[in-house]
Amino acid sequence: MTEAILQRISDGDRNAIQDCLDKYGGLVWSIARKMLRNSDDAEDAVQEIFVDIWKNAGRFDESKASETTFIAMIARRRLIDRIRHSNRRISADSLDDVLLEPFTRADKAIQVSVEAGQAAEAMRSLRPEQQQVLRLSIVQGMSHQEISDATGMPLGTVKTHARRGLLHVRQTMGLGGSNVSMEAAI
Amino acid sequence: MNEEQKDIFFDLLTKKAIYGLDAGEQAQLDAMDPGNAELEFNSLERAAAAISMMVADDEPMPASLRSKIIADANAFVVEQNEQTVAWPPTTSEDDTGYAADREERSSGSWLGWLGWASAAVACIALALNLWFTRVQPGPEIVKTPPVETPRLLTTAELRDEMLKAATDTIKATWATGNVKGIAGIVGDIVWSDEKQAGYMTFKNLPANDPNAYTYQLWIMDENQGDATPIDGGTFDVNANGEVVIPINAKLKAKSPHLFAVTMEKPGGVVVSKREKIVALATVETKPKPAA
Repeated sequence: MTEAILQRISDGDRNAIQDCLDKYGGLVWSIARKMLRNSDDAEDAVQEIFVDIWKNAGRFDESKASETTFIAMIARRRLIDRIRHSNRRISADSLDDVLLEPFTRADKAIQVSVEAGQAAEAMRSLRPEQQQVLRLSIVQGMSHQEISDATGMPLGTVKTHARRGLLHVRQTMGLGGSNVSMEAAI
Repeated sequence: MNEEQKDIFFDLLTKKAIYGLDAGEQAQLDAMDPGNAELEFNSLERAAAAISMMVADDEPMPASLRSKIIADANAFVVEQNEQTVAWPPTTSEDDTGYAADREERSSGSWLGWLGWASAAVACIALALNLWFTRVQPGPEIVKTPPVETPRLLTTAELRDEMLKAATDTIKATWATGNVKGIAGIVGDIVWSDEKQAGYMTFKNLPANDPNAYTYQLWIMDENQGDATPIDGGTFDVNANGEVVIPINAKLKAKSPHLFAVTMEKPGGVVVSKREKIVALATVETKPKPAA
């Protein structure tokens, strides 16, 4: 079994930095561009994310999550932080393409990681409104209020779709959680 | 926890996984925590990360960004090594003991006396320890070899690495353009469709005042055609002599056949009037297709 790239980075292997960028650079860049919707902001964010990755490489534990998921989680935390500290507002004009964008192809998701393939499978079993809310909130970084404004769904309904949808995806992916959460997801 | 409370609890956890919580919301979550909030949150965060990964596309990050990240990484490793040498980490037991000792000293006079007494005992123990270690052979000190510090890769080295790694590199040689006073530009441009990255090398390209004007690269390729070339990014030259500059293409380029560098206003332009063309490079040979 090959040693994880993050483990090699933690051990001071210089080549691992290039390998990390080759393997995960596109993923992080893609997540950032979709969430921030601005290439300049995304460039700054991606730089910060990779500093976070170097700093946290030693904390990676493959028994808890795959390397891809660990990196995506670090990326999301940094991006969420940036969005929370910015005054970003998504204009209604820019939403048409987002709302009409096809969600994903399973074959592509599987290429990214096993978890992405599992998530794609789980998403397909959700109601279309739940899929849409999760896509707009998690992938596009839109707030509940922005989703409500864009889709016409009441704010409370958006929150319920987000909660039930995410709990269902988690449960279907076998990521654990209480039985309560499954009941709440149905 | 009744059904309504469960909904609020999971609403907060979901919000934390998707948007993060403010201090008030986190306090509300902490107050409701039946003991499993952290575990519940971790699994929801993993689910959210997996959903993010589903829609990742194939677009590579810009080459200039990659260069910056590599520079950051090298600087980080250097800093880490310096810190390790300057401040060797203590064990957590040491930290805890020190903190507790400080707290006790400030908490009351009798504790203060106890502290002094403890210090006296510690001094005696230290003296005994010194005496014993002087008269007894000490343990063999194993010198660990110094950790090799990764060297910062220069842009020229990054260019070389790309040339080694890419199998589809094209290369074109710069010719001087039509700007009065700029002559004798030599150098080349290399580009890989596969890596969506490339580098420009120039000699005799004058240093510019970024407040007055900037240089901007344009890429003519199969996708865009010559009328609407791809913006290859702006760059400044702050030193004479040979410079190597990474390409920062704003769109995916396919089989470029011509590259042009223009002089533009600071910050660059979306569409160039092509009035001041500093240099041109025509691709004459295509890479051999991989076997």
